[in-house]
Amino acid sequence: MQKLTITRLVVMLFALTLLASGCAKKPVAEQTTMTEQPAQVEVQQQQPAGVAEQSVTDTGAGSYDAAAAARAAENAATSGLQRIHFDFDQYVLTDAAKTILVNNAGLLRAAPAIKVLIEGHCDERGSDEYNLALGEKRALATKNYLVSLGVPAERLSVISYGEEMPLDGARTKEAWAKNRRADFKVKR
Amino acid sequence: MKSLKVCFLISVLILSLSVTVFAARIEISSPGEQTIPLALTRLLPIGVGGAQPALAREFQEVLENDLEMSGLFEFVDPAAFLGDAERLGLSRTDIDFNQWRMLGSEALIKGGYSVSSGKVTIELRLYDVITQRLLTGRRYLGNSTDVRKIAHTFADQVLKSLTGEEGPFSTKIAYISNRTGHKELYLMDVDGYQPIRMTDHRSIVLNPDFSPTRKEVIFTSYKNGNPDLFRKEIYTGRESRVSLKPGLNIGGRYSPDGREIALTLSKDKNSELYLIGTDGTVHRRLTNHYGIDVDPTWSPNGQKIAFVSDRRGNPNIFIVNVHSLEVSRLTFEGKYNATPAWNPKDDRIAFARMDNGVFNVFTIREDGSDERQLTFGAGSKEHPRWSPDGRFLIYSHDLAGEKSIWIMRADGTGARRISAPGGNDIHPAWSVRW
Repeated sequence: MQKLTITRLVVMLFALTLLASGCAKKPVAEQTTMTEQPAQVEVQQQQPAGVAEQSVTDTGAGSYDAAAAARAAENAATSGLQRIHFDFDQYVLTDAAKTILVNNAGLLRAAPAIKVLIEGHCDERGSDEYNLALGEKRALATKNYLVSLGVPAERLSVISYGEEMPLDGARTKEAWAKNRRADFKVKR
Repeated sequence: MKSLKVCFLISVLILSLSVTVFAARIEISSPGEQTIPLALTRLLPIGVGGAQPALAREFQEVLENDLEMSGLFEFVDPAAFLGDAERLGLSRTDIDFNQWRMLGSEALIKGGYSVSSGKVTIELRLYDVITQRLLTGRRYLGNSTDVRKIAHTFADQVLKSLTGEEGPFSTKIAYISNRTGHKELYLMDVDGYQPIRMTDHRSIVLNPDFSPTRKEVIFTSYKNGNPDLFRKEIYTGRESRVSLKPGLNIGGRYSPDGREIALTLSKDKNSELYLIGTDGTVHRRLTNHYGIDVDPTWSPNGQKIAFVSDRRGNPNIFIVNVHSLEVSRLTFEGKYNATPAWNPKDDRIAFARMDNGVFNVFTIREDGSDERQLTFGAGSKEHPRWSPDGRFLIYSHDLAGEKSIWIMRADGTGARRISAPGGNDIHPAWSVRW
């Protein structure tokens, strides 16, 4: 009987420690996924390279074609660069904008031959001249962050369109938020 | 363009130089307070050539509209006119002043016209009814297409006779319109007639300003892929780039002597105010601050420039001394003050203040005192610019998404639309008298 209770206790203890360790591990696991997010971004950046290898097999050569890989990276950059958005009368990059720019920087580093024109835009509120200057500050803030992420400055040029080229002509908060942005135009 | 080209062969014959000033000079900044009862008679045909009622009617409409806009007059009802209104006699001895006095009029305009082979002659007189004196007499010779121009020119002369300061009605207004689908530069009369497109950049053209000395406009255009400052001669159409620094070349404003241009450049990666020569060479950097510095406007003596900066947080108007580069803040009220324009005749600066997303036009003195709101209500009113005599302001008015150019008196009264429907019209600028 006593033996039984002891084995029961041992089993319970084992189970408890298992549970406890399980519980303790969970937040750790979450933390690792958190820190792995940028790594996932890296994976995304490498995906175009995988596509590039496929295109090599399409040419039938079978050997590694550097030119095709570069072309594929350029295509990936051309289609993959995402615009970022700003708060009203601000040119400070938001966290969401920085996350997008990390991705954009990876695409640009993978395609060293392409140059990019960064266009700064504003919503229609505010004066035209002030918004031209504000749009330029947005484009420059975007450029500077990409440079800090290893994209050579000479590949990045900027232009401000102020409030001249809205994406959405509506006069709503949503439209204004859409229009306050930096766009990326690839120049090959 | 063609109709503008050296088309005004109007020669003005001063019939009488002994122009005495009407009563006491009228305080031009307070229109409406002291109006003059004016009888404006119809133009009557002189001699051969026959009557052209359409010509006379057009002349009358233009002149009456200008004089009404001035706010200086109260018109005697033409329905009450007596026999003298139908008599051609223009000289002092021919006029029955007692008739006009009975109607309560203190000033009288009479005129006649004749047309022969496409040329029109219009002869006009402005009389002081009380003293029975001729205040101004003018004979205009021109093409029959120049009737509007002649009416505007005479309106300017009437204001000069009565106040000592010529009116601005024969000048031009430049503005930006998107009616072709692109923002291009246009020119029109002060009453909105005869609009002409001046550019065909098929890009983005912005923010014109007139030279005070040459028949020339500067503006910013993206034609060459960068916001460069352009110059365009109005009558020849000749065009060139004045400033093409990398980045912004915007908000160009000629100095009062026409020798320099103040503008915003961002060649050093931040928007700063500079003075450049008319050949584009940089003369002087006026501001040095990491904030935004835009929208310069010159004081009448060319010593100071008001501009917009966010150096203290929100956009506000500041003033920089062109020589000492000392900067002082002008506006403290409101959260968003922009587009200043310095009155060419005094120390008032007009600007637009945004409140709850809507701009309205205000004026303030150079020393920051006596701030006044001139426009009210919904629909943004932006980019105020003064007439060369400082009596009027033009601005762009956004009504339910359609922007048009409006004119009002310097005290905010008499606001009316001048640009025609059919596009968004913005960034007005008023020419000097050429």
